[in-house]
Amino acid sequence: MHVVIINGSPRVEKYSNTEKIIDAFAEGLAKAGATFERYAISDRKNWDMARESYTQNAEIIFALPLYVENIPGLLLEFFETLPIKDNNTRVSFILQGGFAEASQLECGKKFLEKLPKYLNVSYGGTLIKGDNFCIRVVSKEDVLKITGPYQEMGKSFVENNGFKAEIVKKFAGPDYLPVPMRIMIQVIFKTIARKKFETYSKEWGAKVPIDYRPW
Amino acid sequence: MILLIDTTEKKNGKQIASALKNQFSQTEYEYIDAGELNISHCLGCNYCWLKTPGECVVKDDYEPILKKMSVSDQVWLITDTVFGSVSYKTKNIIDRVMPLATMNLHMVGKQMRHITRYDKNPKWGIVYCGEGDREYLSLFCERIAINFAERSVGVFPIEEYEEAIKCM
Repeated sequence: MHVVIINGSPRVEKYSNTEKIIDAFAEGLAKAGATFERYAISDRKNWDMARESYTQNAEIIFALPLYVENIPGLLLEFFETLPIKDNNTRVSFILQGGFAEASQLECGKKFLEKLPKYLNVSYGGTLIKGDNFCIRVVSKEDVLKITGPYQEMGKSFVENNGFKAEIVKKFAGPDYLPVPMRIMIQVIFKTIARKKFETYSKEWGAKVPIDYRPW
Repeated sequence: MILLIDTTEKKNGKQIASALKNQFSQTEYEYIDAGELNISHCLGCNYCWLKTPGECVVKDDYEPILKKMSVSDQVWLITDTVFGSVSYKTKNIIDRVMPLATMNLHMVGKQMRHITRYDKNPKWGIVYCGEGDREYLSLFCERIAINFAERSVGVFPIEEYEEAIKCM
């Protein structure tokens, strides 16, 4: 299997959480004997190459972050430039987000499930998982802890020939957190998390509090 | 205030704006022809949450729209459709609402949400031109609104714009 992986995140590759997820996923692909090539659309200079590769290959995976319930505007613009192919081409998706619950990715997933029909290609499934915001702000070792499970999914993609529903469901985690955990998290959000975000913010050079109102 | 943000090729929102003239005073609604404006996509840099809270680092034609959103009762997106959903021009406008939320989180019902930056938050509506997937767009609009602890006021094809006006 030869897989084309296109990073649909607008964020520059160096800081892209999706890019780090692809790193782990691609490692899994390789372990299962597949080869791959990678592109990122954050730089428009890569668009022609990515599109050409999409046109020439049959196994395509778009990895992308959820942006306000759906795919990022920049990726939508890129999709509009893709040629119509046929169902010998299979398109699959890795959709990732910041919120922890799988239900938060449902609206985006619904869009991606229908997209292959519009592109006139077949559909290989959508892997979803949230709770990835911290990739941006934690240490390198902790990043690997978060992205590690994607390696297994890369292997599984080759071995099971696509993203299979039952594997996707298990990987996504619960749609909603159980009530005791929600109560605990509410307390964490109001205390520890708030302090942590203020710390990140100061480290990034913010001169005003996180809830500052410019107008 | 009712804010109409029109990104359509044919400026289809103008007919809604002119119909509103008879119903509302000039201060009660505003029409923005956003198709011609220079509005970038969201870069996903997170600066509006962590480095310059509340402010987008991309300095283009978007900020005045964002300011108006933050004082509107309703935001209506008038959009062309691609793949059954909104066009990328409209999606860019949606993606860049992030400064209206803060980094801070709380639980609202069964899901976590970001705490909004301002006290007032708009309700959301969509009027679409072309082959829109109404069922999907309704879910999408509902979900956009939930992020602002608000609700969708409805999703209508342009042919039914008079129905949309009844919801304004």
